[in-house]
Amino acid sequence: MVKGALWKKAIRDMQKSKAQFISILIMAALAVSIVTGLDSVWISIENHTDTMYRATNRSDLWVTVANPSEQQVWKIQKIPGVALAERRFTADADTDLPGNPTLHIYALDNQNTLDQPDLRAGRFGKQDGGAVLDEAFAKAHGLKIGDSLSVKLNGTWVRLPITGLALSSEHIFSVKNSTDLSPNSQKYGFLTIRADSLESVYGQKVFNQICIKLLPGADVSQVEQQADEIIGKNLIGLIAWKDSSSAGSVDSLVQQFKTLATAFPLLFFLVTALITQSTMMRLVENQRSQIGTLKALGYSRRTILMHYTSYGLGVGFLGALAGLAIGPVLFGKVLIPRLRLTLPDYSVSVNYPNFFFALLLILICTGGVSFYACWKLQGDTPAVLLRDKPPKRGSHILLESVPSLWRKMRFSRKLIARNIFRNKSRLIMSIIGIMGCTGTILSAFTINDMVAAIPIQVYEQTFTYDQKVLVDQKKTDFRYLNNLQLDGITQQIQETAAEVVCPNGQRKMEPLTITTQDSPLVNLRELSGKKVTLTNDGITMTRKLAETLGVKQGDSIRIKRTSDQYVSVPIVQTVYLASGQGIYLTDTYWKSLGEKFQPTALLIKWNGAPDKKFLSSDAVEEAVDRTGQSADFAATTQVMLIAVIMLIVIGAALAFVVLYNCSVLNYTERIRDLATLRVLGFHQKEVRSLVLLENYISSFLGLLLGIPVGWFIAEVVAAGLDKRMDLIGSLSFQNILISGAMTFLFAGFINQVVAKKMQNLDMLSALKSVE
Amino acid sequence: MEFIDLRNVEREYRVGENIIKAVDDVSFSLTQGTFNVILGQSGAGKTTMLNMLGGMDSPTAGTISVGGEVISGMTEKELTDYRRTKIGFVFQFYNLVPNLTALENVQLAEEVCTDPLDAQEMLERVGLSKRMDNFPSQMSGGEQQRVSIARALAKNPQIVLCDEPTGALDSGTGRIVLRLIQDVARDLGKTVIIVTHNAPIAEMAQTVIHMSDGKIAEKKIHRHPKKVEEIAW
Repeated sequence: MVKGALWKKAIRDMQKSKAQFISILIMAALAVSIVTGLDSVWISIENHTDTMYRATNRSDLWVTVANPSEQQVWKIQKIPGVALAERRFTADADTDLPGNPTLHIYALDNQNTLDQPDLRAGRFGKQDGGAVLDEAFAKAHGLKIGDSLSVKLNGTWVRLPITGLALSSEHIFSVKNSTDLSPNSQKYGFLTIRADSLESVYGQKVFNQICIKLLPGADVSQVEQQADEIIGKNLIGLIAWKDSSSAGSVDSLVQQFKTLATAFPLLFFLVTALITQSTMMRLVENQRSQIGTLKALGYSRRTILMHYTSYGLGVGFLGALAGLAIGPVLFGKVLIPRLRLTLPDYSVSVNYPNFFFALLLILICTGGVSFYACWKLQGDTPAVLLRDKPPKRGSHILLESVPSLWRKMRFSRKLIARNIFRNKSRLIMSIIGIMGCTGTILSAFTINDMVAAIPIQVYEQTFTYDQKVLVDQKKTDFRYLNNLQLDGITQQIQETAAEVVCPNGQRKMEPLTITTQDSPLVNLRELSGKKVTLTNDGITMTRKLAETLGVKQGDSIRIKRTSDQYVSVPIVQTVYLASGQGIYLTDTYWKSLGEKFQPTALLIKWNGAPDKKFLSSDAVEEAVDRTGQSADFAATTQVMLIAVIMLIVIGAALAFVVLYNCSVLNYTERIRDLATLRVLGFHQKEVRSLVLLENYISSFLGLLLGIPVGWFIAEVVAAGLDKRMDLIGSLSFQNILISGAMTFLFAGFINQVVAKKMQNLDMLSALKSVE
Repeated sequence: MEFIDLRNVEREYRVGENIIKAVDDVSFSLTQGTFNVILGQSGAGKTTMLNMLGGMDSPTAGTISVGGEVISGMTEKELTDYRRTKIGFVFQFYNLVPNLTALENVQLAEEVCTDPLDAQEMLERVGLSKRMDNFPSQMSGGEQQRVSIARALAKNPQIVLCDEPTGALDSGTGRIVLRLIQDVARDLGKTVIIVTHNAPIAEMAQTVIHMSDGKIAEKKIHRHPKKVEEIAW
């Protein structure tokens, strides 16, 4: 094994090449911190949500049924794969609180064990008629245990004392409905009560939903199908946990960070390997005779190999530990609380399996590369090694085969050209470093632009209503809405979801939007921007959904009708919608499938001021402004922007470390040549430019290569970021310019630092003998 | 005034608390177009002399003038210009740029000075017309030193400063190199100053400045300097 003296030698060698080894350390730390940091975000979310799911005994499937009988519950319980089935009541209710917020009420039977509130304070008594309130909602409204609040159920106000505060696994990402994009505990929360409390309102216990807990490994769609058969006509809705809005949002967040964690770190590992390679190559080359001496002294090949490998391993290991220490704190602590999720706490967990994988990778990039660098030399006999190393050879380069050009070049240009080609690995390293910098920054800006373009495409170009008014379906129908005679343009839409069966047999619940063919306030477009009119002979599908389902224009899919039968519908066209993927069809076509057009919302573009009387009428459940929706959307994507900024900073660090390292190498390797040139009468400036121009050349090449790399990263991220978003965007000239300018700014700054270092160039060193 | 004129030149170095006088009150002058040697053991102050004459260092006291121009007290930039146009350097270890061919190493001089001589011609003069496209690593020490001489002369300098030009060469090659310096410089009318510890070389010189302990121990003028072949090495 490595002996004490060799250890000391290793430490001193590293001290001598401080800049290089610190660079390796930083790169290794950056690489690992990105992996562990981005991983920590999603693994923490998964851990916290899992904890909540266990604490609340969350169901896997909810079947909404008008008044489910005990027999139905019993039958469902008997379906293979079902662990437990229970009934509960659930509904949205108005409250008497200021701002008229909505509470989602869950009424549980005393013996229920599924979907319990995750109590944070107080208790959920069985007899006291008490209620457990959403903790975040309570906080937003200044309510505490012991206070009371009234909710309106079935037209009757019920006063309930608050006995506990809790979280709910169905309200991790707590939004009321599809019109709300961002949780707002000021406006929406949940309230869990005992089924007994409903007796005063309904005269008896009422239920409208069956909660189903599945056995591990059960086939959800099988159970769904059988539950569907048992309930028959009374079925109102059936939603699997993973399709619920809360779980869907959590899932897409997790997906987003998984995508970022795979798209970005690779570059950093590559650069770590390159820096290690150049550093160790040089170190081992310089220590040729030392290696010879060690061999002559009787150290075995293995010991010497181990010795040099330990340089890389040591630094890589330390870097990885630093990355582990920094990453989760930097990314996790900053991002997790900003995700708008309601979690029991926001502590950061580390994805250790992935960390160990990253550690292994970094050890290969550092230790493995060091091993390789030493491997080449250690085969020589001590006698060969102890001889002077062969002098560095100049060599002719390709450029010289164009004599007309070569002859015209100034000597300094020739020198730079030859130097660049002689040190190809350094050139490649600089180029990759700069490429990574430009690529990271460019992709960050491009993704940012793509995300920023979504609300514009959706809320400015596609939807042109002023307000979207959700209507009470019990009190309205399309005739009623037609006859409102509101002062403005209106459009009726029905938003629902249906199970679709793809040609490849895949079954999924997908959103359907049914509207009138003229569609004055929903302007669907092709990707090219050409307006698309819905047709009466088939469905229109958004591009990204078609992609996700693996279907294309001209294919047919089957849609499950409310009558439980499946109809085959052709996809007549696809449209581009940046956010909110789904299927659009006309009311005429919908009716031709044997369905009823029952609008859920009215889109309105007012001519003058909004009609207050209508908006406050019983028919209206809620009205949202398009501008508010747009702002809400922008708010949900803010976390993305923070992540993007972090990546830009890291990209800059990448450029700095690599370019600085390369410049210093370039300078120290040629210090004698440069000193000679100074003696020969070259000005400081001229000598400096010999080194720095090379940096600008490699920066320029790296920048050019960084453009496609940035585009590639942006594409990978855009494709994997969120299945509900269809991110498109092009490399904008402006972004290329900005990232290019930033790259050059970094390069310029590093050049300043190197120039400063070069001021200490000692001319007299040129006169000394070669060591 | 002579072409090169030094008056009461001093060079002090501060090493921690101590002040070391590397050159102590040195005055001498040299005539244009002559072949001169500064002789001394290591530590005698001859390298400091070379540095000051070459414009790489400035005296702490006294004046140095070259061709009527006072170079002591010049700024760093002025000194660079001085080195650029007036001085041709021949180093002990040749100091060729490894990345440039022989010809390119000589052309390097063309780039910096105002009135260069033809690089190709200079290489022919030193007998390397066949090695022009070779890189330093492909040449012997003697050949490299000859390239170095060609490079120094191609700048068309007023002074050719040689720092132990034979120090890294065997005696046979050393002689060739010395004769070359002597012949070419004479043909082109250059003033040559060779700094060396090798006493026999001094016999070639018209003027010999023998330094010891930072002072001039002896200044010798040879009316009939010996030829390289006559020197007992």
